[in-house]
Amino acid sequence: MTSPPASPPARPPHWETAHGLDYAPLPGFRDAMIDANGQQRPTWQPFFHALQGLGLPELTRRWDEAKQMIRENGVTYNVYGDPRSIDRPWQLDPIPLLISSREADLLAEGLGQRARLLDAVLADLYGPQRLLRDGLIPAELIYSQTGYLRPCHGVPVPGNRFLYLYATDIGFGADGAFHVIGDRTQAPSGAGYALENRIVLSRMLPEIFRDCRVQRLAMFFRTLRDTLRNLAPRNRDNPRIVLLTPGPYNETYFEHAYLARYLGYTLAEGGDLTVRDSRVYLKLLGGLQPVDVILRRLDDDYCDPLELRGDSFLGVPGLVQAVRAGNVAVANALGSGVVETPALMAFLPAICRALFGEDLRLHSVPSWWCGDAVARDHVLANLDRLVIKPALLNRRFAPVFGDRITREQRDALAERIRARPREYVAQEQIPLTTVPVFQGDHLEPRHVVLRTYLAAKDDGFHMMPGGLTRVTASLDTLVVSMQQGGGSKDTWVVSSTPVSSFTLLSTTVKPVELSRGGSDLPSRAADNLYWLGRYAERAESMVRLLRGILVRLTEKSGIADVPELPFLLQVLTSHATAIVAAGDLGAPQPDVELYVREMIYDEERMEGLVHTLQLLHRTAGMVRDRISTDMWRVVSGLKYPESSHTLPNRLAPIERNGTVSFETLADALDDMNRLVGSLAAFGGLAMESMTRGQGWRFLDMGRRLERALHLIRLLHGTLVHVSPNEAPLLEALLEVADSSMTYRRRYLTTVQTAPVLDLLLADETNPRSIVFQLAALADDVANLPRDPSQSGRSAEQRLILGAVTSVQLADIDHLAMVTNGTRTQLEHLLNKLRRELPVLSDTITQNYLSHLQPSRHLAHGN
Amino acid sequence: MIYRITHSTTYDYRMPVTLCHNVAHLTPRDGPRQRCQETSLIVTPTPAVEEARTDYFGNPVIFFTVQEKHQQLVVKAEHATEVDPFEPPDSSQTPPWEEVRDQLASNRDGDVLDAYQYVFDSPYIRVTPALHDYALPSFAAGRPVLEAGRDLIARIHREFHYDPKATTLSTTVGEVLAGRRGVCQDFAHLAIGCLRSVGLAARYVSGYLLTRPPEGKQRLVGADASHAWLAVWCGNHHGWIDLDPTNNLIPSDEHILLGWGRDYDDVSPIKGVILGGGEHQVRVAVDVVEYQDLLLPPSIA
Repeated sequence: MTSPPASPPARPPHWETAHGLDYAPLPGFRDAMIDANGQQRPTWQPFFHALQGLGLPELTRRWDEAKQMIRENGVTYNVYGDPRSIDRPWQLDPIPLLISSREADLLAEGLGQRARLLDAVLADLYGPQRLLRDGLIPAELIYSQTGYLRPCHGVPVPGNRFLYLYATDIGFGADGAFHVIGDRTQAPSGAGYALENRIVLSRMLPEIFRDCRVQRLAMFFRTLRDTLRNLAPRNRDNPRIVLLTPGPYNETYFEHAYLARYLGYTLAEGGDLTVRDSRVYLKLLGGLQPVDVILRRLDDDYCDPLELRGDSFLGVPGLVQAVRAGNVAVANALGSGVVETPALMAFLPAICRALFGEDLRLHSVPSWWCGDAVARDHVLANLDRLVIKPALLNRRFAPVFGDRITREQRDALAERIRARPREYVAQEQIPLTTVPVFQGDHLEPRHVVLRTYLAAKDDGFHMMPGGLTRVTASLDTLVVSMQQGGGSKDTWVVSSTPVSSFTLLSTTVKPVELSRGGSDLPSRAADNLYWLGRYAERAESMVRLLRGILVRLTEKSGIADVPELPFLLQVLTSHATAIVAAGDLGAPQPDVELYVREMIYDEERMEGLVHTLQLLHRTAGMVRDRISTDMWRVVSGLKYPESSHTLPNRLAPIERNGTVSFETLADALDDMNRLVGSLAAFGGLAMESMTRGQGWRFLDMGRRLERALHLIRLLHGTLVHVSPNEAPLLEALLEVADSSMTYRRRYLTTVQTAPVLDLLLADETNPRSIVFQLAALADDVANLPRDPSQSGRSAEQRLILGAVTSVQLADIDHLAMVTNGTRTQLEHLLNKLRRELPVLSDTITQNYLSHLQPSRHLAHGN
Repeated sequence: MIYRITHSTTYDYRMPVTLCHNVAHLTPRDGPRQRCQETSLIVTPTPAVEEARTDYFGNPVIFFTVQEKHQQLVVKAEHATEVDPFEPPDSSQTPPWEEVRDQLASNRDGDVLDAYQYVFDSPYIRVTPALHDYALPSFAAGRPVLEAGRDLIARIHREFHYDPKATTLSTTVGEVLAGRRGVCQDFAHLAIGCLRSVGLAARYVSGYLLTRPPEGKQRLVGADASHAWLAVWCGNHHGWIDLDPTNNLIPSDEHILLGWGRDYDDVSPIKGVILGGGEHQVRVAVDVVEYQDLLLPPSIA
């Protein structure tokens, strides 16, 4: 470290270290790490000293590892309006934000008061409304507020408490003082990301983390868990708690799945829940299980399409009634969002004095609600130095910075404010403090906002000693938004005393695939796992077939040389038509290479490989909380990244006519080999790392069914109509069906039709035979949860046993017999199976997944 | 006047419905001039859950859940309600509309504060400059509030065409204003929007209207319909006064009140969410009979 300069300059100088971690704070703004004299603040000294001890090369190495871990853990944040992918890796910076325990105590005190105050405001608004009568809150603010949910008025909340998890966005001003920029009261996001950031950073910098005496987060989550358990109207000992998510397309879905797993809750979408007898139930394969507490990540008005917001089916119809009946607790209470409006901030100091006889300890950013005439005049006169935000919860728009828009835009904004003043709030811009972020070989300043979290505890609140620190994407903006490319940081509250090392993590190692055994699987998850199995297998069979074709195209000079090629192409085409049902795929394309390339690389082909892999990826994303991290890693690896070396890009140079220069068939073959490896790994992990619960059964059924269908098509396409030269065809068949080795071991010599047929159709020991798939399906079906009152075999059992028997009883020599160039017996059997297997699929869907049908509104009659 | 009212709604589904949750505003609320003497709601199939309560606006509301598989749902409400005639005040004696407006914005007494919530936008009604422009001719400076309100509904009655085919529930007030067509709900929403655009409080009223058969004809059972109108706040002294823009009159004892809210969304007769069902059809039959007519046999046409 350089020694401090003898006489401190007025402005922070270029701050340099011996180890290359240069940092120049932004002139004119307060920096969290470096004070006005260019000195490190005392809170940061031990940390930075340790970081320098590590050195840049080691920091870089560890940071690369940490980034790898983030990617592999699938930590993502969905960005709306990005059509390329539904998720992108979470943006984390390796330098944490450091806060002294003294600052944290101040924050906790101020935020605790604020949380109690907002709770009291909610209790009044949804109760006696004295604040409106006394004029402490302008009545028009509440009456015009879309977030004020009248159906929730008078609905009892346990302990008259609305907020169980409350978040606040804090900005640090020029003097380092805290300013509340925003309140999050309905379904605050980010606590899970804060936890993930902590895990990544504490693993990356274990010794620094320990030496800096960073306070742990686990107690906070235990408090939240204890509080939620105590909310249960019944089953206090072992309540069923679900985390209600809008689903995989939500921007913070990763976090929902992560938190659910960490807290040991079931992750549920609205469609997983149903209300009967004014109680909420979780739809499980084995039937309906009562739900006692809902931790929701759905906004207020989306929670009940019957009573709250008619145009949404993300929620649970009848939920408000179930809450009203006292049969389920929802955290935060429905309607809590109304106090999120920044319009309320201007009135909080007076409300605090009136309700508590106390001064508001933590200041909000000075805010003006334009619904008030005096405030509106002030805002219109000072538009160029204010930030304009929406006052109504359902009329969201990005904050507008008055000094960053043109004069015309400002005039137009003023016009809109004059027309509908109640819809706008203005806040003073605060010169947000900067923090250093790591830029590979140096540090750069970014503006920072801290999101803190409070969990209800007894009659007060417990603050998370940490939080989600977010930084701006660049220095040109003061908007801290993950949507707009900002990054995040871990937040360290550094103590002067030793810290407790309590952790909740041990409980999360237990897989969600239930230890209770059978029927505890949500039906929707069963459905998704079934399709995950189907897509994974579909992709694998396609890749094997494509590989077989590519090998022949690269090794031989033309079709004449490869008599089996047309048959393989026909299988590929029948595969395609089976998926798209219609289309002009009947005859092999004249340009075989082009056709094969398109099947591999063309995103537009619904039946092509890329699309199948996309479906696989998407489906896996929907059950990310139910498959192992390794399985997820394999699937993420399959998804084509946006870098230059990607599968779809290899199609790019292709043109239908004219000369083209594209990568060679050998490259495509490499791609196929790689994919076979990954997909086989996925299948292997499914076999080896999933407990044999119902989830695995559904995944396996999907796999078996798809593989059986593929083998049927393969045999049908190659053996039914006899080729004059069958030997190379049989070789190809064995190869594509991954049974060459077995055949060689067993028969050694020449390849003949009957033994091949036996091996691929009727050999119960060959995991690549049709009968093996059918027997496995029969086993899966026999283990599905069943209504004990139903005696005899179920419809799906009868179907699958019929199929198994028909193969077992078949006479192979008979099947291999040729009449007029056709194996009629074989064709007959394969057609029978081809008809019956889809019926089996439908029957399973009907009997186990039927209540997944969507809800709809009744038409209105008058 | 005492009325017996039957209001039955039948839903026919192509596919079985396995679960439906409903909220029904089909029980008349008591008012200063109205007493509900008898009321019943019969749902077939029998609901597993049926719970009566009072909503935010003070209306009786019934929540029910049908949990057995069904392909037809029948909701039949029947009530006997006594309605007193109403003698409206002399319009010219009501306070100037600006005074009422300013009182709403400043007075925090119970009734005025309650009325104030009906000044603001609601799910179906968003005030626009076009609505304000349409309203303005009725609101000359200093004009008594009820006179202005009556003038407004007279203009709507005169300038708009009653046309059941012109609009649906998703037709916005703005579209109704532009198309000059609609039904009672549309006219009520339009008038409410106009009144709110000048800062007055107006609420949506759901109910029934006694209809008389054409001269010399017998009345038809079930030929009536539910009706909608509005009420405007006329200041502390006069309180709420009903206005029916569809018929251009101030309702008296031939309008039977069910409930009120900010707009249709708050008091629609039946809201429901179903699981399953496929396509469905809905039929509504309303019958409003004066008590003495009950002695006469109605013809079944």
